Amino acid sequence: MSQATLPLPTEAAPAAKRGASTFSRVMRYTLVRSVALFATVVVGVYLTILIANMGGEVDKIRKAFIRDNVALSFMGDRQFQQLPREERERIIAEIITVEEHRLGLDRPFLLRSFGFLGQALSLNLGRADLLTSDSGSSQVRLILLERLPPTLLLFATANFLNFFLSIFMALGLSRRYGSFLDRAVIALAPTSAAPGWFYGLFLIIIFAAVLGLLPFGGLVAAPPPKEPLAYALSVLKHLTLPVLALVLSTIFLTIYSWRTFFLIYSSEDYVEMAKAKGLPSGTIERRYILRPTLPTIITTFALSLIALWQGAVVLETVFNWPGLGRLLFQAIGLYDTAIIVGSTVIYAYLLALTVFVLDFVYALVDPRVKVGGEGAKV
Amino acid sequence: MRKSTKWAFLAGVILASLILSACQGQQVEVPVTVVVRETQPPQIQTQVVVETQVVVETQVVEVVPTEAPVTRTGAWLDTVVIVEEPSADAAVTRLDVGDLDLYAFAIAQAPVVQRMKELDTIVTDRSSGSYDDLTFNTSAALPSGAFNPFSNPKIREAMNWLVDRQYIAEEIYGGLAVPRYVTFNRASADFAALADVIRVIENKYAYNMELAQETITTEMEGMGAALEGGVWTFEGAPVELIFLIRTEDNRRGIGDYVSNQLEAIGFTVIRDYKTAAEAGPIWLGAGEFHIYTGGWVTTAVPRDLGGNFSAFYTPAGRPDPLWQNYTPTEEFNQLADDLANNNFKTLDERREMMSQALDLSLQDSSRVWLVDRAGESPRRAETSVAADLYAAVYGSSLWPYTLRRTGQVGGSMRVGMPSILTQPWNPLDASNWVYDSFVFRGTGELGLNPDPYTGLALPNRIERAEVVVQEGLPVGVTLDWLTLEFAPEIQVPADAWIDWDPVAQEFVAAGEGVTALSKSTVYYPDDLYETVKWHDGSAFSVGDIVMYMIATLDRGKEESVYYDASKTAALNQFLAAFKGVKIVSTDPLVIETYTDAYQLDAENNVATWWPYYLGRSQGAWHTVALGLGAELAGEAAFSTAKAAELEVDQLNYIAGPTLDILQAQLEAQTASGELPYAPTLSQFIPPDEIAARWANLAEWKRTRGHFWVGTGAFYLERAFPVEGTVILQRNPNYPDSADRWARFSAPAIAEVEVEGPARVTIGDEAVVDVWVTFQGEPYAQADISEVKYLVFDAENNLAQTGLAEAVEDGHWQVKLSGETTGKLAAGSNRLEIVTVSKRVALPTFSELLFVTAP
Repeated sequence: MSQATLPLPTEAAPAAKRGASTFSRVMRYTLVRSVALFATVVVGVYLTILIANMGGEVDKIRKAFIRDNVALSFMGDRQFQQLPREERERIIAEIITVEEHRLGLDRPFLLRSFGFLGQALSLNLGRADLLTSDSGSSQVRLILLERLPPTLLLFATANFLNFFLSIFMALGLSRRYGSFLDRAVIALAPTSAAPGWFYGLFLIIIFAAVLGLLPFGGLVAAPPPKEPLAYALSVLKHLTLPVLALVLSTIFLTIYSWRTFFLIYSSEDYVEMAKAKGLPSGTIERRYILRPTLPTIITTFALSLIALWQGAVVLETVFNWPGLGRLLFQAIGLYDTAIIVGSTVIYAYLLALTVFVLDFVYALVDPRVKVGGEGAKV
Repeated sequence: MRKSTKWAFLAGVILASLILSACQGQQVEVPVTVVVRETQPPQIQTQVVVETQVVVETQVVEVVPTEAPVTRTGAWLDTVVIVEEPSADAAVTRLDVGDLDLYAFAIAQAPVVQRMKELDTIVTDRSSGSYDDLTFNTSAALPSGAFNPFSNPKIREAMNWLVDRQYIAEEIYGGLAVPRYVTFNRASADFAALADVIRVIENKYAYNMELAQETITTEMEGMGAALEGGVWTFEGAPVELIFLIRTEDNRRGIGDYVSNQLEAIGFTVIRDYKTAAEAGPIWLGAGEFHIYTGGWVTTAVPRDLGGNFSAFYTPAGRPDPLWQNYTPTEEFNQLADDLANNNFKTLDERREMMSQALDLSLQDSSRVWLVDRAGESPRRAETSVAADLYAAVYGSSLWPYTLRRTGQVGGSMRVGMPSILTQPWNPLDASNWVYDSFVFRGTGELGLNPDPYTGLALPNRIERAEVVVQEGLPVGVTLDWLTLEFAPEIQVPADAWIDWDPVAQEFVAAGEGVTALSKSTVYYPDDLYETVKWHDGSAFSVGDIVMYMIATLDRGKEESVYYDASKTAALNQFLAAFKGVKIVSTDPLVIETYTDAYQLDAENNVATWWPYYLGRSQGAWHTVALGLGAELAGEAAFSTAKAAELEVDQLNYIAGPTLDILQAQLEAQTASGELPYAPTLSQFIPPDEIAARWANLAEWKRTRGHFWVGTGAFYLERAFPVEGTVILQRNPNYPDSADRWARFSAPAIAEVEVEGPARVTIGDEAVVDVWVTFQGEPYAQADISEVKYLVFDAENNLAQTGLAEAVEDGHWQVKLSGETTGKLAAGSNRLEIVTVSKRVALPTFSELLFVTAP
């Protein structure tokens, strides 16, 4: 991770660099940083290609699958069985050849792996081998894009709720250290050991099976309402339980973490000094506690946002939510490497971009940070 | 049970099922293998004239619907909403609270099934079709050179005694399986016909650890192995058996159980747990393994399993290395080959050959069959539907016509499925996933519907048929909607179409001197073109039939502008037996088909040419034409293979980016008025029909938003791909009465009670009454194929077998003569009754114990 979160003593900057224009410094930094991040992405994506294909072993598995499926499709066919054996074997071999060609299995994996890499890096995500989008396209781009909105809706809602609720509650608790509410949150923090889907099961049982107030799962009612407003309300209704499950599974631990974080900053000398000066508590929170912690808060927020890209397999399964997590799980099960690689490369780019942008954001929010500076630089 | 305990239990069950389902991966999604392919020309079967006479006596089987005549046509329901529900456990909860009405999938997890059974809100339909075996590597040695005891057929045969199938069925499967000893599925015509022979085999190969150990010891010592300190060794090293154990289902338990049994008799077992993907290359390639926990699926009631011996026990079965290592005896190999190729003259001869082959297959035992698995498809108690013996509701062709709330007309139902809209929908290469096929059966219809309980074809859209086969072929007929005749020779008319010229886009005439082994003539009803309408309002026409013929023959040919390499193999297979087709009359529609392929049942030899492509989905000529246009333009393709080749999307008629392509094609073809395959199609499709069809389809697309049309009992109102919802609406134009298929409300599995003396004096005659009923009513004699009896003596040897005599409907008698009882020693004997029905391919076994004394 970037060193930008460390306060940079301005006096540490070498005198020779002080004369350099800010523009050239930033440009140089941008170039070096971009190349480094791109190299990281290349390595990460190629590793993913190798791992997803098990170093080429997946080819063997797929070939065996094809052979098995083709032979199986004829095993109960009495007309086929009555053909001469040579003819039967010729037909089976012909079908196998076509299918292996379709999946590119007639070319060495190593050769294909570089093709995959080139396509992935240029964001030409290609076509899935087996899976299609819900609406029938085999273009990986469309497959991913189709699942993106539900994933964003669910996880962005939950993350925003979780993030802002926890920040504000943590701030409040840091002011009321040792209060009943504070102790209650500490006591409840271990509940975050259970994942969201675990809470989801109980919420379904209570609110869907027993009380019948909310739906068991899905994105929207079946059949979906025709009116946009009714549709939106239906989605909201279906969103309630999974969001609640996600929030419940993380909120207490997050509040606890932030509250501890703020408490540490609250006990800094300059905060004590501010208190001694008699500044209002709101001012102290904004200027003396929140501001120096802003890089950390922003980093956490940004990384949690891109983590949305991966979805959550089990939670989406429990709530029958058509998200990216289930898609990725299916792709892994079917060795549909195009989707695995496609999803990974986008995540890698998002991560690289986030890290890159954060470096600049740090400089904006924290005057101690200087982009491209020597020594402790970003 | 306290409420909190109930909740905790419920949560536990859901949790367990989720973990299980999360571990299943792609396994859940089972592609359909359509066994009955009504779209193919007649398939061959054998038997002589005698068989015909037998069948004429036995036609029947129709149960008159009990309800008063109804005026409703097509579906009973107005609306069916299909939603995705991946979790079986959650589906049961939703059924219980009324959030679902039916779950269209067979659940095989014992705890979930147990829960369903405890709920009075839910009833289930049992189906079978999946079965397990132990697959042996029969190579002389493993690739590493390791010793392989299973190269010895005697040791493989002894494995039959080593495994307790009842234990597997009851304990590992929790009752959701039945023991299986032979290569025939329990619910099949061949199992029913040979039930007495099989029962003897089951008796012979029943669990017997001592016999297994004794046989294996003898053979292992003969191979040079030695039992040292209770451990088998070969050349000084322990004999290690590599056991590939599948991990995704109950086969893990089976693998552990069989491993324990093998270890108990001195083998060292390496349990190699693997998923399907990991195990595939090893076992199919005859790699480094000794035993594999195999699993198989049959998706429709099979009528002819004569090819199973060749398929499962000989190198001719498959080209994979595992099969190529099989070394059946010459006698078994010949018998298997003859049965696969129908090299017999009569069904009696076939039965004799099958009996021998069954014995020899157990002696060979390159695989040891273990159990037939079962699944339960749940639905609300107030619903009714025709479920297939093999594929339950999700594979039933009759569900659209029979699904209803009992006694109600209209209304809607919500159906859950583990997956939905799995693959693209298009008429020529529609998705082959069971989940999609379920919906296709609702929106389309077949020319012939398979009987869900016997597998015999029943006329749906055709009126009647005539089948003629060459004399000496063992073909028989059971039902009365068709006739069967035999002829010394079947000449193909010179003007029949035997092939297709893809360049001239014209059919190729057969010419003089072509003969065929079988001919079928189908007669469509006189009012076909008036009564049958596509969902967009277009009247069905002969153009739909001719397009189907062309599409069948054209796309696999390299010279075709629509060439699809993935179709060539299937086309070549088809042409190998195909001898011609002739449209004798277009109105009324009469079609003759000539072929060298045949099946044993005349019903399944009828070729309708009804446009239900690949046995998967229905297509009208105009909707097919749109896709062909898109293919020609290189914008999209029907098949997955061609789409990949062209790097375009596979055509999807209900959603996605290809809808725009199809829309553009619709506009272009409407403007041009041109037809694909114009040199031929234009002879059958007049210009006014072309214009009407495009106008209808344009309006359909405008109002429904998709291009999916069929002639089925439901039409696709809307599909919501991301939301995972499909809405079907009743087709108000469907011509047939709603109660047409009502007789298939439940499989008429015979319920049998045996009454007789508990004590028989040796040498005296004994009379045993056999009462056969179904739902409390006597089973008609005409509906029973035979009631067989087998007498096993005190030492469990078969002492006598024969047929019970029919007394009246529901009542048969077994008369054991004084001579028969005179052969029995004093002791406890067993009389087994095997009741074989014509209405369902599932025999009923029952028994009576009696003591013989001087």
